Amino acid sequence: MDALIGWWDDYFWGAVIVGKVFLCSLSLMITFGLLGAMAKLSNSRIAQNLAGIYTVVFRGTPPILIILLFYFGSAITLTAIAQIIDPEIKFVDVPPFWAGTIAIAVLVGSYATETFRGAFLGVNPGSIEAARALGMSNLQTFIYVRIPEMWRLALPPFGNHMLSLIKDTALISIIGLNETMFVAKQAITVTGQPFTMYIVVGAIYLGFSTVVTVVVMGVEKFGERTTVGAL
Amino acid sequence: MSLSKIKTLAFGLSTMLAIGTAGGATAEVLRVGMECTYAPFNYKTADGELAGYDVDVANGVAELIGADIEFVCQEWDGMIPSLLANKFDLIIASMSITEKRMKKIDFSGPYRFSTGQILGAKSTEANLFDSDGKPIPKNFDGLKVGLERATTYQSWFDDILPGADIVLYDGSEPLYLDLQNGRVDLIMTNPMKAHLKFLSKENGAGFEFKGPVVDEEKYFGIGVGIGLRQGEDELKGRLNGALKTLINSGELETYARKIFPFKLHKDEWGQ
Repeated sequence: MDALIGWWDDYFWGAVIVGKVFLCSLSLMITFGLLGAMAKLSNSRIAQNLAGIYTVVFRGTPPILIILLFYFGSAITLTAIAQIIDPEIKFVDVPPFWAGTIAIAVLVGSYATETFRGAFLGVNPGSIEAARALGMSNLQTFIYVRIPEMWRLALPPFGNHMLSLIKDTALISIIGLNETMFVAKQAITVTGQPFTMYIVVGAIYLGFSTVVTVVVMGVEKFGERTTVGAL
Repeated sequence: MSLSKIKTLAFGLSTMLAIGTAGGATAEVLRVGMECTYAPFNYKTADGELAGYDVDVANGVAELIGADIEFVCQEWDGMIPSLLANKFDLIIASMSITEKRMKKIDFSGPYRFSTGQILGAKSTEANLFDSDGKPIPKNFDGLKVGLERATTYQSWFDDILPGADIVLYDGSEPLYLDLQNGRVDLIMTNPMKAHLKFLSKENGAGFEFKGPVVDEEKYFGIGVGIGLRQGEDELKGRLNGALKTLINSGELETYARKIFPFKLHKDEWGQ
């Protein structure tokens, strides 16, 4: 364990970055998932097809490939676009943090799309009829009936998506983000102790995923508080 | 949308994106790409400081040409694509000047020798090279060779020993690990690093060099240089001038002697 002396602070800052990537990509992932699900359930053929392409492409390609494409592709494309507008611009770069965060959010968002879609479809038609009978508008039905029923159905698979998101953050080290995996690689080259260094990374990720699991369990309990015992 | 509106929009985006414009009144900033995981040439210490021969060279050159430097850590596989995608401006990462790489990028003059040598367990009994230092292909039969992907060592094996049983790795640490695990019998790598970080340590006690130092220019180039995008001849000229100054002033030798008991360059490179 002596080898770890001096590396704790690096691991701490690495973990902070993992947390930041997780929170940013989580909010983006929910956005992409909801947009995707709404497109799939909409009456527009175009929106349905676009969402269909989105889920097929991003659920069917390896995460590491998507991250590399976002990182290298974005810089080249954005630079080309920027130079059309202003030839003075030498380069436009998406930093690894945002390239990686957006890549994994888009990726896991494609799974969330299907989860949310299924959950919306699972809303009891009787509840919606009841809302109509009470004279609720579409918007009111959405906010007071569909969403409250839907999130309870979506929560268990959504918890899995959050765990995927946490673990995908480790992949961002390949585009040079200074997160825990990258810290481990740097520490290994200096100390020559791969196992110690990787075990620390494992412990950090276990910590994150435990927190997520516990929070999801808590929220599930909260969601069931009014339905326990009911038929 | 008018042009000025588009420009305003582009400006707003720059909170998230880093947009660089040519020229400007501030001091020149050169972004330098390196692995940051290749001790003793470029690595991060426990204090979070970048250190090593490549880092010293980068700082030395920057001081001489009056530029500010920013280091970017990048995995080896993506080093050249990143330079071409403008993620940084220079590669100072122990990259050998080879013909193959010259097709995509440009290089300064050399600042370090580029060589390879084969390592294996002392217990592995095989005469891999004849008395002239030429490899004997049939003696490689049944031996697994570990190499780093996209390196000079890989090019050398592909051409000289195409029949060899090759296992490719990302990064040098897994290479040494699998040699110790016995998953590969031989590795070819940088002999300076191998001696310092492995053979002279406890882990490396059962291992030795299995052949002579290989430095054929076709594969290993004339040495390790600073990589830059093609067509930046003005910058290249300044880099070469700075490297020559470092060689002639003896500064480059002091960088090497921090780590090794010998220098890592030829004095004639300073002419």
